[in-house]
Amino acid sequence: MFLTRSEYDHGVNTFSPEGRLFQVEYAIEAIKLGSTAIGIKTPEGVVLAVEKRVTSSLIIPSTIEKIVEVDSHIACAMSGLIADSKTLIDKARVEAQNHWFNYDEKMSVESVTQAVSDLALAFSDQEDEVYAMSRPFGVALLFAGVDETGPHLYHLEPSGTYIEYEAKAIGSGSEGAQQNLQDIYHKNMTIKEASKHALSILKQVMEEKLNATNIEMCTVSARDKTFHLFTKEEIEDVIKEM
Amino acid sequence: MFDIKTDTRKMPIEHHFNPYEMNGGTIVGVAGEDFAVIASDTRLSEGYSILSRENPHLYHVQPHTVMGSVGFHGDSLTFNKTLQIRLRMYEYENNKKCSTPAVAQLISTMLYSRRFFPYYVNTIVAGINNEGQGCIYSYDPVGSYEREVYRAGGSSSALIQPLLDSQLGLKNQGSFELSRSYTVKMSRENVVALVKDVFTAAAERDIYTGDAVFINIITKDGVFTEHFKLRRD
Repeated sequence: MFLTRSEYDHGVNTFSPEGRLFQVEYAIEAIKLGSTAIGIKTPEGVVLAVEKRVTSSLIIPSTIEKIVEVDSHIACAMSGLIADSKTLIDKARVEAQNHWFNYDEKMSVESVTQAVSDLALAFSDQEDEVYAMSRPFGVALLFAGVDETGPHLYHLEPSGTYIEYEAKAIGSGSEGAQQNLQDIYHKNMTIKEASKHALSILKQVMEEKLNATNIEMCTVSARDKTFHLFTKEEIEDVIKEM
Repeated sequence: MFDIKTDTRKMPIEHHFNPYEMNGGTIVGVAGEDFAVIASDTRLSEGYSILSRENPHLYHVQPHTVMGSVGFHGDSLTFNKTLQIRLRMYEYENNKKCSTPAVAQLISTMLYSRRFFPYYVNTIVAGINNEGQGCIYSYDPVGSYEREVYRAGGSSSALIQPLLDSQLGLKNQGSFELSRSYTVKMSRENVVALVKDVFTAAAERDIYTGDAVFINIITKDGVFTEHFKLRRD
């Protein structure tokens, strides 16, 4: 009884003889269908920029939300199945607030990412097991924030792996964007410079023409350790200077 | 209909069980500009009996943080062990040692989590904060806490606190200005000498305080200890 791929496609938690978890790998593939998101870390803070796919003129673009605040000092950008991110973001927010409640201090960016990564492999198709999900999450996250050790940018994928980056792109345009980031990145970039770079790279990989309504952008500045989501006017200013 | 007349034969039998004991002990904490001092006597009592003459009530929980805990000894031990576990988990989850203010908040939430079956303990936390300042936190048994300049806790607290108010707080001695500082200006040596004096005074009148004083001096370089003998009767 062989299906198109193999019998190891059946159980979401079954290893193939080559030692692979197909469903997790397919979930990572799902990210490549998502809209592009870019994060750049600088000594002055972290910038996140994402593309919004406004597929109809009747869509109200402000209701497409791909950058969210996790805590006052941590932002998160996403690509993939956005609905899946809701569970993860909720977990991140609860963990950050619990940390503050228990220790009277802000949670570090890595600890938030670690806490969320615990959920990534908490799935099962066994009916008798009480899991959060029946399949892996189809979304990748970029956690950007500033804590007592400075600015940080973490990439978390459906496998639960998280890695810190200086600059990272995810989503459909990620391959080209990542190459671009490698070319333009230098260690003492200003946050303004990084914002312009993020938008010009996004412009190159987007199918639609980039404007102030079909992208979203935020910074977490190292000085005041605060999340700031750009208004339409602020995005327009960056576009003008590009 | 119900028979509302009281029938004593049908009354339930009440059983009393008191799970707590008061084992005595006194702790004193003082915050200096770049150090903190926390001291306790070493006596452990049960009624008129002395269970131990060499049981300090101080727990070195982090490199720059010491907790003093007196009241029911069993609760002190269990609370300390639970705290050690929580601090080790904190270290694993956050890749760093828990700072004194974070330990202070954690102790508060841990005590409050037992709001309706409390740990029967008086707690004082002493340490150095992230700014290098000495700091003292004091608690009630259910976790209400406050950062303070100095505090006495335990069986002799009512004897020692007014003495500290006089010698460190300079209360009612001319100036009615509220102090805005969280530390005393006194030197480390003078604070230690004062602590020895207040314990000597307390041991004179309180049977639950005596035998010896165990003093911890916390600086950025770590915790230094000192012993001082008290009367043993």
